Amino acid sequence: MNIQQFQEALFAIGREMGYADMEIYYVNGRSTSVKVLKGEIDQYTIVENGGLSFRGVINGKMGYASTEKLELDVIDFLLEEARSNADILESEEQDELFAGSESYPEQPAYASTLADTVPEILIEAALEMERTALAADPRIVMARHCSVSIRENEVLIVNTKGLHCHRRKSLATAYVYVIAADHGETVTGGWHDYSLRSVEEIDIVDVAHKAVQEAVSKLGAHTIQSDNYPVIFRHDAAAQLLAAYTSVFSAESVDKGFSRLAGKLGQKVASERITLIDDPLMENVPAGSTFDAEGSATCRNEIIKDGELRTYFHNRKTARKAGVESTSHASKGSYNGKIGVSYHNLYVEPGTSTLEEMIRKTDRGLMIVELQGLHAGTNTASGNFSLACLGYWIEQGQVVRAVNQITVSGNFFDVLQQVEEVGNDLRFTGSCTSPSLKLAALSISGS
Amino acid sequence: MIHPTQIQDMLQAALETGGDFAEVFVEDRTNGQLGMTGGVVDTALSGRDFGIGIRIMKEHFSVYAYTSDMSEQSLIRLAKSAAKAIRGGGAPGTHAITLHPHTIPNQHPIAIIPDGSQKRAKIDMMRRAHEAASQYDPSITQTSVGISNSIQNVLIANSNGLLVEDTRTYTRMRISAIATHGEHRQSGFRGPGAYAGTEFLENLNIEENARHAARIATTMVKAGYAPSGRLPVVIENGFGGVLFHEACGHGLESTAVAHGTSVFANKIGQQVASPLVTAIDDGTIQNAWGSLNIDDEGAPTQRNVLIENGILKGYLIDRMGSRQMGVPATGSGRRQSYKFAPASRMNNTFIANGDSTREEIIANTEYGIYAKSLGGGSVNTSTSEFNFAVEEAYMIRNGKIAEPVKGATLIGKGIETLQNIDMVSNNLDHGQGMCGSVSGSLPVNCGQPTIRVSEMTVGGRKGE
Repeated sequence: MNIQQFQEALFAIGREMGYADMEIYYVNGRSTSVKVLKGEIDQYTIVENGGLSFRGVINGKMGYASTEKLELDVIDFLLEEARSNADILESEEQDELFAGSESYPEQPAYASTLADTVPEILIEAALEMERTALAADPRIVMARHCSVSIRENEVLIVNTKGLHCHRRKSLATAYVYVIAADHGETVTGGWHDYSLRSVEEIDIVDVAHKAVQEAVSKLGAHTIQSDNYPVIFRHDAAAQLLAAYTSVFSAESVDKGFSRLAGKLGQKVASERITLIDDPLMENVPAGSTFDAEGSATCRNEIIKDGELRTYFHNRKTARKAGVESTSHASKGSYNGKIGVSYHNLYVEPGTSTLEEMIRKTDRGLMIVELQGLHAGTNTASGNFSLACLGYWIEQGQVVRAVNQITVSGNFFDVLQQVEEVGNDLRFTGSCTSPSLKLAALSISGS
Repeated sequence: MIHPTQIQDMLQAALETGGDFAEVFVEDRTNGQLGMTGGVVDTALSGRDFGIGIRIMKEHFSVYAYTSDMSEQSLIRLAKSAAKAIRGGGAPGTHAITLHPHTIPNQHPIAIIPDGSQKRAKIDMMRRAHEAASQYDPSITQTSVGISNSIQNVLIANSNGLLVEDTRTYTRMRISAIATHGEHRQSGFRGPGAYAGTEFLENLNIEENARHAARIATTMVKAGYAPSGRLPVVIENGFGGVLFHEACGHGLESTAVAHGTSVFANKIGQQVASPLVTAIDDGTIQNAWGSLNIDDEGAPTQRNVLIENGILKGYLIDRMGSRQMGVPATGSGRRQSYKFAPASRMNNTFIANGDSTREEIIANTEYGIYAKSLGGGSVNTSTSEFNFAVEEAYMIRNGKIAEPVKGATLIGKGIETLQNIDMVSNNLDHGQGMCGSVSGSLPVNCGQPTIRVSEMTVGGRKGE
């Protein structure tokens, strides 16, 4: 049964049951990925998968239910469950379905050929990436994970108020994670890159060399003494830290008392060097969309401008409650979740310093390149973090050696305020990115 | 769920290109999720996950494919396209596959099967949690409570003739409390769960769990920061077992061991931990959060002794790990859903009881950290560097528990930390968590008695 037939049958039966308005949010994707190990294909994965979330207004309330099976026999389940879910909701602010924005930005070009890449191309690219990594340095003992994948997915939102939003996207990625060993010491490092158009466009050799460089440069690591040190969060670590705290910018978190940014609109919440932008319409980045999960047309938003908090992430419900316009930040964590709030393509606007300059200007300090255990070691309510990390010790403007077995502790809100320098090395690799950030001091635990 | 002849056809199609083993995993799962923020019900979701995964092996190589399109022609197409990825040819499929359905005894009785009719009763339970947490202390400014349940029906069949079905029923309650003190906010969490039906909630001391979450938030919001550096650490029983889970458990999975990349590889029979440490992974504990009748490859789960008196005894091995390592599987093949190929994973992992008492351990510690409630953690199995977060911690001074401290993340390296365990008490208990790895996010128990590690790096803050 195709999605259109299913949707028509669902809405017809729903109307008979007494639903006033109804909506489907449908995602469907396919992907192929190849993982190689020791010159052989180790895993090969093929996916064709979809799911549908239904929501509808019945007796004045909105109910939700979802399914991965698109057959007539699940329609009753969806409609009955959504009705009983609507019935027990107590929240006073109700969602409402949206008829759509007046106009939508133009969709970026979709590379229809990408998903049809023949498997041999993926296999050859993965094998070449592994060969390159193993040959690049005698200390590389294994490419623990070496994979190339392609995927495409579509999102379709249709409702009885006339909304009809559809998008299709495709992405190719290459990822390699290597193990290096020397004198009984073992370290790991990885790198990845992507293309929206073709596998061939990814510089496989460069990805392999960068992963090798990441690993071998960690050899010879040991801890440092516990103290407060100047810290540079390299772009990737800075992005990790920012990503762990993005919920503090959500109007929903603010409204529910989970965010310390409540009541801070128009105030200085960060160093004036910080401008935080969500731009779903940027071209050639992996994340982005012309409409959000409610079907609102997206646009570029400045969340923080020169250190001043300009807006939270709003969907239509939070916007209505706050008396503002939606910033088109309606999201679904997964197709089967309820409408929440999230960003599309969030980044810290780059500054002018290169990472090398930031290192050169550091007399004694630490550059952090990897944070670990973020799901547990960060607290979004307090902003506090205490995280295991890896990095490099800097002395007199030079990287001296690698550092391990340390933690970095601080508070995200203080970090925002204390950024002294913003790098120019922004690299879009996911939906939340940052250039390197330098701070005057953070607490490091070691020996 | 799906007709056996259809499965037979799929398996046969899967072996057409020379694969030597094929396996089908069919899943039909119903999920329910209720949520309450500040005492107001704001989330009510129901879902039906439905799909099929097929795996083909040829020696040490495997192909995995999955779909939620269950039409007959789509399933055969999926099997054939997966089979195309089997390289090196071999004899085309001459396998005549005959499936032998067998039933497995259910070790985990479910008294009240979760269904939609229980929603109102569950909301009353959530409200009790909200009230107990919010009344605990005036500093509690917000609560978030949720109940989730799922019923996962699986059918597993393979080209060896196995055909087996099972139903897994999970129920979990999550309670978060937020305390505010001036500009400071802190959250506390409690998440008891079981492989059980709604009777688990009826028998649960909801108020006690809610007060526990509220206590963490209230205590920590006023606490100063933990000190930095190398210190003795006493880790409380129950979910404190996440220490072993991260420091050692992941490193014993064949996913890490088979290629020799784990620090625990090739160390069977060697002393890898203090002689006080005996560690077990047991998938058979009745109704425990991480238990299963059969693993996700259709093999019965078992009790696996991993470390006995400090000596490494065994690993956790799935079917592919068994091929790669040339040893029998241990009933440890698990996956979140049909969207993942199985991998070797933990079930209920714990350190066995020792001879000390909790009181002795604290009284014997002059200065250190008492880690009362732990959060989650992670590990790099190639280097064995792990970390985990302490949600609720106190200083120990002169053999007594002293002031609370926050921000005490603990880090270390696997074998080194296990060898530094110098006291083990006799109060084994288990806590529940979700473990994320290559085959998805899975329910696991982490358990231990109260233990002491003579020295660990504590990630506090200097000078505060």
